[in-house]
Amino acid sequence: MKATPLTPVLRLSEIEKVYQTRDIETVALNRVNLTIYKGEFVSIMGPSGCGKSTLLSLMGLLDEPTSGTIEVNSRPVESYSDKELAGLRNLKIGFVFQSYHLINDLTVLDNVELPLLYRPGIGGKERRQRALEALDKVGLSARTGHFPSQLSGGQRQRVAIARALIGRPEIILADEPTGNLDSVMGEEIMALLLGLNQQEGTTIVMVTHDEQQARQTERLIRLFDGSQVG
Amino acid sequence: MIRHLFTLIWNRRRANFLLVTEILLAFVVLFAVGSLLVYNQQNYRSPLGFEYGQVWRVTIDPGSQPEAERTATLQQVVQRLQSIPGVQYLAYITSNTPFSGNSSNTDISRTKKEGASIGVNVYGMGDDMAKVLGLSIAQGRWFDKRDDAGTRPPILLSQDAQEALFPQQSAVGQLVYNNGGEYQVVGVVPNFRADGDLASPKPAIFRRMSLQDSSFAKLSSFVSGFRLLVRVQPGAGAALERQMNTEITAIGKGWKVGITPLSKQRAAQLKKVLTPIVAMVLSCVFLVVNVALGLFGVLWQTINQRRSEIGLRRAMGASAGAISGQVVGEILVVTTFGLVLGLGVAAQFPLLGVLGVSVGVYLTAMVLATGLIYALTAICALYPSRLAAGIHPAVALREE
Ligand SMILES: Nc1ncnc2c1ncn2[C@@H]1O[C@H](COP(=O)(O)OP(=O)(O)O)[C@@H](O)[C@H]1O
Ligand SMILES: [Mg+2]
Repeated sequence: MKATPLTPVLRLSEIEKVYQTRDIETVALNRVNLTIYKGEFVSIMGPSGCGKSTLLSLMGLLDEPTSGTIEVNSRPVESYSDKELAGLRNLKIGFVFQSYHLINDLTVLDNVELPLLYRPGIGGKERRQRALEALDKVGLSARTGHFPSQLSGGQRQRVAIARALIGRPEIILADEPTGNLDSVMGEEIMALLLGLNQQEGTTIVMVTHDEQQARQTERLIRLFDGSQVG
Repeated sequence: MIRHLFTLIWNRRRANFLLVTEILLAFVVLFAVGSLLVYNQQNYRSPLGFEYGQVWRVTIDPGSQPEAERTATLQQVVQRLQSIPGVQYLAYITSNTPFSGNSSNTDISRTKKEGASIGVNVYGMGDDMAKVLGLSIAQGRWFDKRDDAGTRPPILLSQDAQEALFPQQSAVGQLVYNNGGEYQVVGVVPNFRADGDLASPKPAIFRRMSLQDSSFAKLSSFVSGFRLLVRVQPGAGAALERQMNTEITAIGKGWKVGITPLSKQRAAQLKKVLTPIVAMVLSCVFLVVNVALGLFGVLWQTINQRRSEIGLRRAMGASAGAISGQVVGEILVVTTFGLVLGLGVAAQFPLLGVLGVSVGVYLTAMVLATGLIYALTAICALYPSRLAAGIHPAVALREE
């Protein structure tokens, strides 16, 4: 059930990102042009510090480029207010982080529900229902009442993926999702992401250090020192 | 969202325990001081029952004059004073003059036997005192010549004494008993609060002081001297005071005279009573400021510790407004926990009725303390909440 690969979900044109600290200027991204199409599974590789997380944060509307434009569903985002951006993040994007980023004081179920808390018009019952469905997809139905500290790294990352899924986003952005996991657990997570992409048609952009994982995706983008090299 | 806040706070109950305790304590202190203030304010606002303006207290110490001669001299003095143009009315009074801090207590009852008696302030007063103090008569009449012929000594009750002794019926004409003596009620005056503006209301009875009355000697026996209250003409001042002094000592050789306006005594008494209250309020303010600073510090620190959580929430689609709302919401929920506990403690006072203060006072103090604590925590949360709202969503990717 893959969509035609020519519907753009995200388009980045001539993106430049410069971090200005007190006395140094870091050019984290330099003239990056990139379009992500619906249903794609794209991986991003590159040495540490080359701007992968920066690129992901721009795609996730967490940050603004120094210059260039980002379009979501063919709409440029710089004109949006903070509130509208928050709405876009909530509706269109699901995030998965290297170190899971679960809230330790919330149960698995409460963690997964989090994105829907910020979406108007969804009641507690529906939230619960959808959180259970998402946890079912990642195979964690039996752990809903656990706290993150009671789970293994792979399980935690699956919770994070369930949390990224619950809002039914158009695109999932994953920043080194297997970076903290051993190879067995890493493969597990990779299998899960591949399954989502192939069975549900979820668009995925993943940063990885693992060549083997990257080979399993449709498209590979290489970054070096802030610039695209492949 | 509220449920989410409750879950979060409950799961972090250990961290929130101190805050709750602090709020609970602050509330209890505010409630206690608030009750005190409300109670005093209520007393202050209820009428005194008399007019103290233009009334002077005259105290006379007859010194070494033989006791047998004193009343005759006093009679002369009173006649002389009455003839002074600046003096409007004057009357004898026992030593518990208004605002003096002296009091005289007794019990009265409706039956000869001890029993359903009530504690009252007892005043001895002369026939013109109603005019001197501008007392209004609610029922019956004040003392007058008719009482010379009465079979039983006359007595007046204050309104609250009448309500306690003769609920829903007229007291005039009834008999009351005090120390085995039998008195006839001739009238009722509104509540009389000569103990002072901030003193708790207390029922009062008034006995007649007259030189013809054999009980006069007894009434004044517990004092070393005599006391008069004098209503002077408006505007009368030092000149009249000197004149009265001269006239009195001209007749009563060797008498010592003290003249003080009641308004002055009232001011002195208020100052004395208010000093400890002000001290208490100041310490309370100090405590509250401390609590506020503590709260502020804790909130600030919490925000810094939770940067990554807040960044995450931003990444998940929380707007800046939602984040600051959450911070304020959390502290308000924690505050509510503290307040619920505090209200539980505070409710014991009216429930047990330990201090004999009306429920309204406690309720008012509860409302005030609750409002103040909410306002305080909201103010303390304001800056940290803005701090939190300013946390950039990209933090989610960096701080892990
Ligand atoms: N908030 C920031 N302030 C200043 N410099 C930053 C900031 N975030 C990232 N950088 C710099 O930008 C460059 C790219 O960082 P990043 O995107 O995190 O790289 P990667 O994820 O590929 O390791 C690095 O040199 C990094 O030091
Ligand atoms: Mg990175």
